[in-house]
Amino acid sequence: MLAAGGLVLFIPGDSYLLLLTFLALVLLFSGINTLIYYFTMARFMTGGKIMLYKGIIVLNFSILTASLVDVPRIYVLMYLIAIHAFSGLVEILRALEAKRYGGGRSWHLKLGHGLLNLGMCILCCIFIKHVKTVSIIYAMGIIYSAILTIAAAFRKSDLVYIQ
Amino acid sequence: MQEDFHYYATYCAAILAGYSHEESMEICYSAQFVDMCSKTYLASIKAPLSAATTQLQLEMMDARTDIIGLQEITRIWASFHFLPKDLYAKKKWRPKVYMNKYRLICGPNSDLMVKMVELAKGKPLQNVGIAMHVLADTWAHAYYAGTPSLVINGTTAEFYEIVQDGDGEKEIPIHFRHSASTPDDLDKHIFTNSLYQGNEKSIMNLGHGRAGHLPDYSFAKYRFYPAWGDYGDIVKDNPSDYYKAFCQMVYAMKYIREKELFFEKDTYHVPEVAPYRKRIDQILRKRQIIACDDWKAFGEELSGQTIEDFDIDRFKSEYIEVAEEHKKDTFLGKFIDGAIAHKAMVSNEISSSGSFLAGFVQVKIHDKISKS
Repeated sequence: MLAAGGLVLFIPGDSYLLLLTFLALVLLFSGINTLIYYFTMARFMTGGKIMLYKGIIVLNFSILTASLVDVPRIYVLMYLIAIHAFSGLVEILRALEAKRYGGGRSWHLKLGHGLLNLGMCILCCIFIKHVKTVSIIYAMGIIYSAILTIAAAFRKSDLVYIQ
Repeated sequence: MQEDFHYYATYCAAILAGYSHEESMEICYSAQFVDMCSKTYLASIKAPLSAATTQLQLEMMDARTDIIGLQEITRIWASFHFLPKDLYAKKKWRPKVYMNKYRLICGPNSDLMVKMVELAKGKPLQNVGIAMHVLADTWAHAYYAGTPSLVINGTTAEFYEIVQDGDGEKEIPIHFRHSASTPDDLDKHIFTNSLYQGNEKSIMNLGHGRAGHLPDYSFAKYRFYPAWGDYGDIVKDNPSDYYKAFCQMVYAMKYIREKELFFEKDTYHVPEVAPYRKRIDQILRKRQIIACDDWKAFGEELSGQTIEDFDIDRFKSEYIEVAEEHKKDTFLGKFIDGAIAHKAMVSNEISSSGSFLAGFVQVKIHDKISKS
């Protein structure tokens, strides 16, 4: 994510093509992996169908992402912005859920992350006619997301200690 | 299970099986020490790390979930806390990769449990304590596996506590939260559990994390839907299961002391326990986070002696200060030998069943450790 952000920031012209290809491949691998997991394990699990849906949705996203290579850049950016807006919304909902369940202060970081993702998307929409500006805003947004993700990886998380 | 059962109840069971106060203290200390003997602790006394019988919270967070890390987790948790019920269980149309995990589901009265008790016969009291910990956990941790697995240890969100209502029973929905630092609220039926993780091998999907501490409370009777149960529900009756665990511990220790000729599965009629059934039942059914005080009072009444509180460092200096060649004769030295032997036996059984989830283990390893 950090590398992709840097790429878009320093080559705001055509770097998005590389980004799209990379994203499509990651989604493709993840989708196939989830489907294999469903057919070998999760289909025997109570409520395991969610893995099938997850696999199909991720695979579809991969195909959709790959098909966007030929369309004008503004649509590609709109698609990427929409993905980030969605993830920002999910992050905010998860933060509110964590707050409701008394999850310590972890919800602060999640809420901040979600709000920034949404803010970035709104800014992108405002400057949608200036493609290079949008590219830079988008790049800065994903760099920020990458830094937060790295920070979150080093945070302690709660788990029930079994005795 | 917690300190109340592993330490104080195990003491009571040892006294009823005919052990002296001093012997019972060694047995119950060893049983409780299984929950304390982590790699971090072993490193602090320069003991073999392979003897670890548990993993601390931070060790688990730091644990790798690649195949080597998973094997280490499985060796510890399947051997000491989630003894598999049936390593050769069959289910139609399930691929091997699924069955390897399904076969690690813990449960009481397994062939492996009988083998474990038979192996403890003629061995130091530390081995007896380890065996009693594992035996008791087969009851408390039934229906969960000692390996990280979403498809086995996952549950739906529906949990219902079954409580007394006049002459009958009623079901009350259980609410979960994910704050490990907040104590469970027994009055409001709010418990802490692990977060849902869609990753099959996430450490959050180890054992009964998704059910929180419900399996650890002797009073809890609840209904839930396990991920492996084909959409069927299970009623876990802890007061009944814990009583059977107590009786089975007394019976097993009588067999180890050669007061019984045979050790058979599914045997709970123990004459020594019968006069105390009502008292034990009262302790087990009392709604409380931990029942140490009640079990301690019962144990002291049984033996007429004072039961010292558990102190993790009680035998530490003895082990550190003694010369290398005499370490194996110390309390901790014997515990370490017993733990390695037990872990090797269970891991070998898992490996022999065709699963590599606990690693590759040679049959000869156990013999070598026993002889040394």
